[in-house]
Amino acid sequence: MSDRDALTDNPFFVLGLDPDCHPMEVERAGNTLAGLLELGVKRGASYTTPLGAFERTSEGIRQAAAELNDPNERLFYELWATVAPSDARIVRSAGPSTSWWSNG
Amino acid sequence: MTTTYIGFDLGTTNSAAASFDGDTVTVMRSSQGEALTPSIVRLSSSGGVLVGQRARRYLETDPANTHTGFKRLMGTGTSIAFPAAGVTRTPEELSAEVLRLLCDGVEQQCGFRPTRAIVTVPALFEIPQNAATVEAARLAGLEQVELLQEPVASALAAGWTATDARGSWLVYDMGGGTFDVSLLESRHGLLRVVGHDGDNFLGGRDIDRAIVDWVVERQAAAGGPTLDRSNPDHEPAFRCLSLAAEEAKIELSRSETAVIANAWPIDIDGESLEIELEFDRKTLDALTLPMVDRSMDVVTRLLHDSGLRAEQIGRVVLVGGPTLMPVLRKRLAERLGAPIDDSMDPMTMVARGAALYAATAGLAASGGDAPRRGSAPDSATGDTSVTNAGCHFFLHYPPVTADLTPHVVGRLVDSDVSTARPTEVRLVRTDGGTEGEYAPLDEEGAFVASVQLEPHKANTFRLEARDSRGDSLTCEPSRITLVHGVTIGDPPLSRTVGVALANGGVREYFARGTPLPSRRTFVHRTVSSVSPVAAVGSVSGSALRIPLVQGEYASADLCRLVGAIEVDAKDLSGPLPADSTVEVTLELDRGGHLSASAFVSALSQTFKSVAHLMVPAATPEVLRSHHAELAGRLVSLREEAFRTGRRDSLKGLSALQARLDTVARDVEAAKGGDVDAAQRSRRVLLEVDSSVGELEDEQRWPEIEDDAVWTAAWASSQVASHGSPAEQKLLEQAIRSLEAARQAKSVTRLKRQQAVVQRLGSAAAQRDDSTWEHYFHNAAAESNEASDLPRASKLVAEGHQALESRDHKRLRTVVRELWGLLPRASSEPRKTHGSSVR
Repeated sequence: MSDRDALTDNPFFVLGLDPDCHPMEVERAGNTLAGLLELGVKRGASYTTPLGAFERTSEGIRQAAAELNDPNERLFYELWATVAPSDARIVRSAGPSTSWWSNG
Repeated sequence: MTTTYIGFDLGTTNSAAASFDGDTVTVMRSSQGEALTPSIVRLSSSGGVLVGQRARRYLETDPANTHTGFKRLMGTGTSIAFPAAGVTRTPEELSAEVLRLLCDGVEQQCGFRPTRAIVTVPALFEIPQNAATVEAARLAGLEQVELLQEPVASALAAGWTATDARGSWLVYDMGGGTFDVSLLESRHGLLRVVGHDGDNFLGGRDIDRAIVDWVVERQAAAGGPTLDRSNPDHEPAFRCLSLAAEEAKIELSRSETAVIANAWPIDIDGESLEIELEFDRKTLDALTLPMVDRSMDVVTRLLHDSGLRAEQIGRVVLVGGPTLMPVLRKRLAERLGAPIDDSMDPMTMVARGAALYAATAGLAASGGDAPRRGSAPDSATGDTSVTNAGCHFFLHYPPVTADLTPHVVGRLVDSDVSTARPTEVRLVRTDGGTEGEYAPLDEEGAFVASVQLEPHKANTFRLEARDSRGDSLTCEPSRITLVHGVTIGDPPLSRTVGVALANGGVREYFARGTPLPSRRTFVHRTVSSVSPVAAVGSVSGSALRIPLVQGEYASADLCRLVGAIEVDAKDLSGPLPADSTVEVTLELDRGGHLSASAFVSALSQTFKSVAHLMVPAATPEVLRSHHAELAGRLVSLREEAFRTGRRDSLKGLSALQARLDTVARDVEAAKGGDVDAAQRSRRVLLEVDSSVGELEDEQRWPEIEDDAVWTAAWASSQVASHGSPAEQKLLEQAIRSLEAARQAKSVTRLKRQQAVVQRLGSAAAQRDDSTWEHYFHNAAAESNEASDLPRASKLVAEGHQALESRDHKRLRTVVRELWGLLPRASSEPRKTHGSSVR
């Protein structure tokens, strides 16, 4: 996996979660995002990363949830999500990826 | 009406069905009144079909027209003969008969015939076997079916009732014909399959077979007629004895002695044979232990691959009839030391888990009473009181979840013009519990609402909406039910799936462990030119062949061919030059059912048919020849080991020789018409082939090691000169892994890491123009062997011009095109499964 992939496909970014999230949040985010995607709701359609915005796919969501359920894989992505440039988190907090769960 | 979910365990020896209504899992009794239905089918001379217990009694009296064990032949294309009726049936058709009987039982007890269900398969079933299982379900009248791996089903069933389900579990599933072992991890009610392994040809029937061999030996020693597995005329006798052996084996699980007797005389070459032999548990244990140890080798391999030690296993779940044998339990306890969970019936656990999983997957048993997850308007609990709904919503929620505060996602579909538009919704418990907060609808009419579940039960909520004035509006659906319980993540793929390439390699599409379902697309290039005209009158109509393989090996010939996209030349709309791009998409559903398509961009044509989706045929001649070749290679390895004094490798060689000796008996039985033995020997020979290959590599260790060291040095120099800082970091990591593999003297790991290092080096080197000049000179030197000589000559001339004008961009294009025309891209057809792409 390239450095770029570790950021653009990082499951924390795909699911819009913080690296210290609880395993149950992974389950919840996976289910909820899959729902938003299936119902064609715009706020679930994309996610942001330090390298820009990317389209969410149901396959990407499942893959991300599976990766974060594996403790070894999760560790790897935690590292990348944590060392991502600080502006990435600013982008994330301002962008749609963290607001998929909030209404209105 | 309550939503009901159905799961089927389609077993080798016995099958079962279970239902789940959101609260309780119930094992269904068949229409014959049994929880377990023997997977046996009989066809009478009039064409009448008997299935299950009714067919069982004919196994001895009319074995030629009564068949069992057909699950082991699923996907092989085998025809099973019923001479009395003068017809043949495929294993899929026979499995469909069993499923049909199970559906009858469900219909009698639930009041409806299921049209959607989960059917379980062994974790190591190959893609053709999965496809055959789906076909069997379709033939049985199931409109929608999903497959689930048996150990996952067992774990779900065990986890559902477990009070303390944390930590690592081992599910040891020895069925009638297959053995699966899975390692699972449970955290916060979420089950995760860490890994699984198994043997598709190891099960209770092998124990029966060992007992029959013992009987035959005793019989011959006593001067009776000699039974010969390679003689097709003796096959009915062997089937009759297998039945007697199975009965004695089951009896010895409870008592110390039993008698093996055939209920009816067996006719051997015109001589009647009656058997009545004393059989005791000690003898049974001695005959069984090699099979148990074989299964323990698989368990050990799985633990090793998962980086776990036996003492780290918190719980062992036993599934399948043979696990009731005391010797098996004792051996497992000795080798693993973990507590064995025998709180559930090992015979029905798979069906129970399948029913639970049907709920997780939102696969309600009959149409109209529940949605697929997130795909339809919901009426899950069937509140029929609402007749003039004001607001109509699409909802998405997990029907079963381990999350106590899951989200329900909804979107307004339409709103009655006579009522106001809803601005917010909430979900209220119907049992009078706490009311949820209102969630606002956004500009798209969507909302995400959180609900609070009570643990380990079905939780029903009423959907309430109100408009901007605060007036309540009726909703459709009005109620939904979410069940709190153990859930399992997407099942992982058990074996790597890819495309065999013309150079003998494999392009990996889905690595082992990929969560299913999954879909991937890669671009390939054709290695030779094809013309629709040239193909006229051709013997083989296949102009373009893309073989699909399954296995963890880098060489295509060691992987199993599980299907192929084949394009007939006459179907091409125009000529297809060599080096044309073909975009191949493979898609696997949750149960490992494969579909594939190939898009040929030059012709704007898409081809979808997957041909030969079958386990390859195993003829006795091919098996014997493969066996002889392996025996010869083993002799060479042994001689080399003695010559070089490498006695440490002799142990491994002896083990392989023992496997070859064992498989020789199956090869002989294949000659006698035992298709099951033929398939088993095919698999074992492939495994031995791979192991012999590894030992041959080990003997070449100094050479392989030198090559790896050279590659590392070359890559370091290229990356240092032309690589990015990130590539340098990755190379350092890769070289560390390569060094670890070198220290461990692991050829497979070393080669894998060498490939990574090589790729990094090549990526860096290709940024250097001089590399492409070097590539061009090499390709030009071989251009007289190109598949399209005029095109190659033109490209070489263009390349020289590009060199002179220092046009390196053009030079790169020329080199890539030349590579596509050169024969080095293709290997022997046998080693490539006839692939025409690279």
